[in-house]
Amino acid sequence: MKIKRFTLLQRLFHLLLMVSFLVQAATGVGRMYIETSFGQALVAPFGGFYGALAVHRWVGLFLLGLFVVHLLYLFLVVFKNGKKSISGPDSIIPRLGDLKPALQHVGWMLGLRKHPPLDRWAYWEKFDYWAVFWGMVIIGGTGLILYNPLATAQYMPGWAMNVAFWVHRIEAILAMGHVFIIHFAIAHLRRLHFPMDKVIFTGRAGLKASKAEKAAWLARLEQEGKLRSVTAGEASMPARIIAYVVGFTAIFIGLYILVGGLLNARYITW
Amino acid sequence: MPTLSIHLIKGGFMNKKYLWLLLASFILLMPGPAAGQEERASRYYHYRSTEMSTGIYEEYEVRPRGIQPTFEPRAQPGIGISRVEDEDARAWNRMFLQDSHKDLRFYEQRRCVDCHAENANNRHTIRHGITCRQCHGGEPIASISSYTSRLNPIRQHTHVCSKCHSGANASFAMYRIHEPNPAMASTLDVFPFLFYAFWIMIAIAALTFATFLPHTFLWMVRELFRRRKKEDEV
Repeated sequence: MKIKRFTLLQRLFHLLLMVSFLVQAATGVGRMYIETSFGQALVAPFGGFYGALAVHRWVGLFLLGLFVVHLLYLFLVVFKNGKKSISGPDSIIPRLGDLKPALQHVGWMLGLRKHPPLDRWAYWEKFDYWAVFWGMVIIGGTGLILYNPLATAQYMPGWAMNVAFWVHRIEAILAMGHVFIIHFAIAHLRRLHFPMDKVIFTGRAGLKASKAEKAAWLARLEQEGKLRSVTAGEASMPARIIAYVVGFTAIFIGLYILVGGLLNARYITW
Repeated sequence: MPTLSIHLIKGGFMNKKYLWLLLASFILLMPGPAAGQEERASRYYHYRSTEMSTGIYEEYEVRPRGIQPTFEPRAQPGIGISRVEDEDARAWNRMFLQDSHKDLRFYEQRRCVDCHAENANNRHTIRHGITCRQCHGGEPIASISSYTSRLNPIRQHTHVCSKCHSGANASFAMYRIHEPNPAMASTLDVFPFLFYAFWIMIAIAALTFATFLPHTFLWMVRELFRRRKKEDEV
């Protein structure tokens, strides 16, 4: 038995974000590590040092476009569902009430408390979602500054590009570190979902796993009598296979960049 | 045509009438005056001759990590890409340049990075193989604060940056090629904006990792020992 958690559009957003993020990571890290064979291998599929920059620019613009489309989507959701989508329990906007389950969750990890009954979007999920927002603004903004230095120089002094470069780089390292370590661990390494939580590709979460972790959400659905309407069968076999292939490809690329980046960090000129 | 040749044979080549005809046709068929025949009235007429650089650089260079300049050393003195006597023109320009390395012993035997090691650490050199002299020029190398230096801020955007970044303006030239290490405390004095931006970003990253790395690790471990409850079953 499964429970519907993501719409097709939401899954498409994640897929496009995932693919373009990995391309940006490979081209960006590849250029940064161009002095090592690791970096040269990363940029090789994109046409080398200069080809990778061209890809990085185009995919960067695509990501910003995707971000704008997502903002439009958010406005539509708020327009359609009204106040409920902002302050309701299904909202992904963080609120003060998230603090208590967060602390209780940490308490549970330490063996001091019972597992908190989490609602639809747990605190770490909210953090992950909004982290992309802040990353988009910082990396996208500095990326645009660096996109065309000659045009940028018309609006700000050239040294702004020194600053933008470092902000871009550190924020990108933060984003990659978070995705390739923390996000991957949450989605793949937890016993509840091992070896992979397919929900973001199939849109369906396991009912049992959800009951164990998102007790408040399930209780709310049951109370409102909606549980029956959101349950669904298992995703089809091809869909599950595709989910595994896509998911593990992303893991492989991400871990390759993470491990290669860490091992070669001392061989590059920063 | 047959009639003409019959006439030529009959009258012979010495016939003046046909000789003029022949000359006229030669003149008509000749190419016009070539561009190379133009008269050069002044040595300053050509921009190239007043340019600080001919685009050809000295034989010896910094060679960072095997990325070597691709240009060839000049084979013969006096023959360059400029059509005018560029050696003369360079000397004319260079007599105003101050030599920062004047009286340095064994200067000819040294490379730039032997003394200016930290200055090779810039993205132009490391990532793109741009050599010192492609921007700082040949001998004599003047300080960038020297009035006649090509890298003096009054002209560096036109004389240096725009060699590659066509259309560079003075604001563009404010990009710091020899960027100080943003992490160093000394950067606070020379480039405070970079220093603060760097450390604020590092603080955000460190805070995120310091929170979520232990959080994730603890979580993974704890979940290994989670007991499966009966009420989980549906």
